[in-house]
Amino acid sequence: MSAPLPKRIIKETERLQNEPVPGISAQPHDDNARYFDVMVEGPGGSCYEGGVFNLELFLPDDYPMCPPRIRFLTRIYHPNIDRLGRICLDVLKNNWSPALQIRTILLSIQALLGAPNPEDPLNEAVAKQWKENQSEAIETAREWTKLYAQKN
Amino acid sequence: MKFGHEYEQVLASEGFPEQWLNSAIDYKYLKKCIKKVHRQLLALGLDGETLSHLSGWVEQPDFKVKPLQHHDYYSAAQPDLNTISEEFTPQLRILVDAQTGQPLDATLTPETKATLQGLAQHEMILAGRKEHLGTRIEPVDESESGSDSHGTPKDRVSSITELPADARWVQVPLASAQRFFDLLAPKLEDLEALRAAETRKLEEEILDLGDAVENVVEPVREGFEAKREISYRDLYFWREMFRLYLESPIFYSESEQNRGPLTFAKAKERLEAYDKQLRETGLLSKMKTPAARQAAKQFLDLNVDILKIMHFQEVNARAMVKILKKFDKQTHLEGRLFLKSLRDKYPELVPPEGSKKIVPSGFANSIARDLHAEIASKILAIVPQLDDWNCPVCYAMAWRPVSLGCCRSVFCIRCIIKLQDEGMKRCPCCNKETVMSADGRNIDFETMDFLEKYFPLEVKRRQKENEKAQLVRDYGEEFVKPSCTVM
Repeated sequence: MSAPLPKRIIKETERLQNEPVPGISAQPHDDNARYFDVMVEGPGGSCYEGGVFNLELFLPDDYPMCPPRIRFLTRIYHPNIDRLGRICLDVLKNNWSPALQIRTILLSIQALLGAPNPEDPLNEAVAKQWKENQSEAIETAREWTKLYAQKN
Repeated sequence: MKFGHEYEQVLASEGFPEQWLNSAIDYKYLKKCIKKVHRQLLALGLDGETLSHLSGWVEQPDFKVKPLQHHDYYSAAQPDLNTISEEFTPQLRILVDAQTGQPLDATLTPETKATLQGLAQHEMILAGRKEHLGTRIEPVDESESGSDSHGTPKDRVSSITELPADARWVQVPLASAQRFFDLLAPKLEDLEALRAAETRKLEEEILDLGDAVENVVEPVREGFEAKREISYRDLYFWREMFRLYLESPIFYSESEQNRGPLTFAKAKERLEAYDKQLRETGLLSKMKTPAARQAAKQFLDLNVDILKIMHFQEVNARAMVKILKKFDKQTHLEGRLFLKSLRDKYPELVPPEGSKKIVPSGFANSIARDLHAEIASKILAIVPQLDDWNCPVCYAMAWRPVSLGCCRSVFCIRCIIKLQDEGMKRCPCCNKETVMSADGRNIDFETMDFLEKYFPLEVKRRQKENEKAQLVRDYGEEFVKPSCTVM
């Protein structure tokens, strides 16, 4: 790494370790403090409950002027998350503000799991299923959670 | 160790003031009272088995039920648990045959018991509805109870009177149990009064100390050059001292996961750790003026005082909960109803039912919360902490401070320039499109003066950083790279 780590990233990381958000953890890599291994628990009462989802998070050089880059590593059946794990979430794109942080973004992602939005889909197939037969879609999401998102 | 013993020891060894000890719950004596009640019950032929058998269906219905009709009671002194808290009298209710006076409970066959139980429950629901607790036994009539919800209470009463079996509720006033509660109740008043008085006293102490701290840290004004060096450095010592305190508050946890008052044990641990930290960093001895050292010591003493009253109240609250549990267990009387009414009367005293979390109980709880807030607002707030003056974008001190005018956030000038360069039009905090129109007029001079006064060293450092960043922006990275270093 060339440039020293900005104070902001150091402080955010510290706080994530010292006061973790319930159901969420983010651990920076030893060799790259801008790259985090993230774990998010499926919110209670949702079809992802009981699941533990792994994500990767990267803070670009411009952070916080641009949003962190985040992707699901665990497979998940969700209308706003595609097969590559990319997430369709406004605060990760146009609505990013430099006053947002890693912890607030991860909370937004956890909330997205609790409230899928098939009207603004990233994964057309899943969104279609979600709109046409919601109960079946939810059942599939549950099965996938059991299949792929179990803690090991 | 048995609690009774432990309790006595704590009271004896912690050096609590005499006045406090007089308010303490007399655990030993109350225990004796319970034994007496127990004996009295035995004398009435009501052993544990009978009582627990009874308690299955002598359950009280909703206790908020108000006026009762007493005509069904053969009752002594106070006819019934006619409502809440203050009027509460412990009593035992038994179902007896009206003719023979025989208690029906113990001699009934299991079938009859089951029927009675069902009936009693049924009647209780009904009683809740029409505020009528008295009951006579009637045979179960499935069809009628099925349509019962539509019948008016009046209909119901008339049907009750046709009963064949003749059974009544009888109440046995228990003198020794009454004594138990008579003893306990005033103690609680005492404890509440003590809590109020001590809290007030400590609050005053906090105010005094606040003045003292203000005097010793007040940053130097114009014309006091001679004193400058001294108090300016003390300001930084105080800030560090309070920062450590805020990092791990002693009486109240502010972390996201477990916010709330801490237990005495935990608070004690934290105060010890804090004391150790102060010693290790040598902060106290570094303070220049005697007045500052004196105030710092006062600050520690204050915390010790709070801890003490917290301990006393906590151990008393525990004693109370324990003794009531014991009362319940030994006598099967409605001690828990007393507890429930206490909860309504002194919400600060008794932890809410079913709270399994280890929270300090009772008065201790509220002392911790109130005084924590007092200390934070009246003492700690005198020395501003750097973290409260950070720019929400770069997390460094907001220097020079810029207000966009749309919300109350204060940013550093560097971040606003960067946002403008990136074409990010919206305020990072409130999303209004105010960034592009910001210019020199948006500099927040009031905050600037404040920061210069309280954070002189940080301001100097930030100023240098800003100047360098400006050069980089204007002339490129190369310009500021040192081309030659003298070793």
